Amino acid sequence: MSEETMQSGTNSGTTFPKMTRETQKAPLDPESIIKAIRAIDDGPKVLKLYMEMCARCGTCAAQCPVYFGDSARKYNPVERSDLIRSIYKKYCTTSGKLLGGLVGARDYREGELEEWAEHFYTCTGCRRCASFCPMGIDNSVITRKGRAILDAAGITPETMSKVVQISLDTGNTDGATPEAFRAAIDFLEEEMKDEHGIDIKIPVDCEGVEYFYVPPSGDVLVNPEATTGVAKVFFVLGMQDKWTMSSRYFDGANYGLFTGSDADMKADNKPYIEEAKRLGCKVLFMGECGHAYRIMKMIMEPAKWWGDLPFKIINCMEFTAEKIKSGKLQFDKSKNPQPVTYHDPCNFGRSCNIVDEPRIILEASCQDFREMFPNRGENWCCGGGGGLSAMDDIIDFRMNIAGKKKMEQIRATGAKYVAAACSNCKRQLSQLMEHYKEDIAVGGVHDMLSRAILVNGKAADRVSYEA
Amino acid sequence: MEVFAFFVGGILPYITVVLFIFGMGYRFYVWAKTPQPGRMTLFPAPDSLAGGVLAESLFFPSLFKGDKILWLFAWIFHATLALVFLGHIRVFTALIDRMLLAFGMNPEGIDVMSATAGGVAGVLLLTTGLLLLVRRISVRRVRDISGIPDFSVMILLIAIIVTGDLMRFGTHFDLEQTRVWTVSLLTFSPIVPPNGGFILHAFLAMILIIYIPYSKILHFGGIFFTQALVRRR
Ligand code: HEM
Ligand code: SF4
Ligand code: SF4
Repeated sequence: MSEETMQSGTNSGTTFPKMTRETQKAPLDPESIIKAIRAIDDGPKVLKLYMEMCARCGTCAAQCPVYFGDSARKYNPVERSDLIRSIYKKYCTTSGKLLGGLVGARDYREGELEEWAEHFYTCTGCRRCASFCPMGIDNSVITRKGRAILDAAGITPETMSKVVQISLDTGNTDGATPEAFRAAIDFLEEEMKDEHGIDIKIPVDCEGVEYFYVPPSGDVLVNPEATTGVAKVFFVLGMQDKWTMSSRYFDGANYGLFTGSDADMKADNKPYIEEAKRLGCKVLFMGECGHAYRIMKMIMEPAKWWGDLPFKIINCMEFTAEKIKSGKLQFDKSKNPQPVTYHDPCNFGRSCNIVDEPRIILEASCQDFREMFPNRGENWCCGGGGGLSAMDDIIDFRMNIAGKKKMEQIRATGAKYVAAACSNCKRQLSQLMEHYKEDIAVGGVHDMLSRAILVNGKAADRVSYEA
Repeated sequence: MEVFAFFVGGILPYITVVLFIFGMGYRFYVWAKTPQPGRMTLFPAPDSLAGGVLAESLFFPSLFKGDKILWLFAWIFHATLALVFLGHIRVFTALIDRMLLAFGMNPEGIDVMSATAGGVAGVLLLTTGLLLLVRRISVRRVRDISGIPDFSVMILLIAIIVTGDLMRFGTHFDLEQTRVWTVSLLTFSPIVPPNGGFILHAFLAMILIIYIPYSKILHFGGIFFTQALVRRR
């Protein structure tokens, strides 16, 4: 292929940030890299299958938000996955050993790892490619393997490795202390008092209650309306004393999923399971955070990281939607008159099947709910998946390339409020609105519920929700 | 030529069977035993896993959603491939003919039916194969990811189709020869059909079959494993 096709694409001005290597964990020598690639033979099964099954039909590229934003060669999912696949072929397949380049096998190039960083951190891990691939190949699995190899060599983008470290040190990705958390909760209780004129509690550190609520920390510290929404649901149901939060473990976010490090992902997860056991809850009640719920429900639990669990794992939207269906919650929709649409976070929609629940909540609490197309399992990624939304150093890439399709989709709905049940999506979407100068608000699902739910027969008394 | 013909007709079939069965068996064994701790389900997932995987392998619904034109080419291509594969049973044994005769068809009828169905399939397969190749060259996102293995497997396939079509549309080929050949192979006393075109066709076909477990056509078989992982509820 010519130089020109290598460079082509409409927006490729993005420069990728330098990676830090201060925390070099493993040597960068080719042997270690090759060893890590050979380890694919030990599983997981998906990864091993993907090494040899691709029909190279190009369907994934046609359905990838990044490739949609910029059809440069480097953004083609197969091109990215081939970085690892071609080396795997060379060392682990008969045909690759015998025929080499003829079957697309190649040696590891000394020093290429630095280039990998850009490639593997420009896939949002959204799994949209997998939904359309005739073979069911999920390129995000290969992306995560690439990031794992980078991480082992200490080449994780600084923003990411910092978030992981902060979370491991403090239990939350914002590095907030229990005191700061309690102050935030006090503030939320005052807000609710202003809204409804009564005391609506957010219980903290209560042992022996049924539900242990674990939101993303953003839903307490940044966009706290989702948490007030949950508190109001429990209040209306007369279940004020049946739930709790933890002042140390209030953030389901787990960036080990994004840096590829299984060890970090487990280390970040473990205290939450222990806290749930310590509190003696019956239900681990996950908040509006897609990847947190996915790790708990689709990864940790089925893989039995910590054996059999003495509690169930559900999502708060499942709970609320169930109560709405059984007529236990009432709303004043006139509080939310503007057109509202829902963005399916990839981890909730494609990966966990939480798709009807947010819609039930939004339809109950908003006057004008509109679908965005395509949606649910086929929804386009916001462009900030895979942890990228935390990386402000690649904001050009996120705005102009990865988030381009999402912006088009949202505009087409004519909505004035986009609900997304995910802190990462919300951050990316807010930045998109700013970047494209759109006057569209971004928030959560329980946020809209919080504004419209009837508490003692009355919805919140508040005029403006501008921060 | 004599030597080559004997190699293709008398030795290669055994090598092919061994390499194919060993290759595929080894794959299936390894795939089955590789651990998969987490769940990789893609939603919406079908109610029945077996139903979902079967649907994906028979009708390619994901591909249909993802790329309609490719679906059209690829589905006709694969469906005819499957038909041609079934049609080849007649090449190796007279059993089907005897069954049809027992059902009251006359020999001419069988020939006409076979010529029509086989002829249509032969042309369709060639056309869609060429269309896939043209697509591979002309669509940039596909060309960018295509390499020697992708082109060579398609060119090999087209060569098989062309040599096959030549036998069908060229001078009459008496299936009695291949049926005798089959029996002779089973009794380990090969009698090679004295037909240059056939030898070439059989040679290319066996190369392809040997190549399957070691190339991307591994998706025949592998697809059941990958789809089972993402369609599981
Ligand atoms: C049953 C045995 C099968 C065989 C022998 C087979 C064989 C082939 C061959 C020879 C190609 C051509 C590669 C090329 O275009 O370069 C191909 C491509 C392809 N096959 Fe299959 N296949 C089989 C089953 C399937 C199944 C079950 C699917 C289901 C989704 C599938 C989907 C595809 C697709 C999407 C392509 C890409 C076409 C392209 O390259 O443009 N195949 N297959
Ligand atoms: S859609 Fe699947 S089979 Fe086709 S090129 Fe992409 S990963 Fe390979
Ligand atoms: S996971 Fe998403 S961003 Fe990554 S290759 Fe697939 S479709 Fe593209």
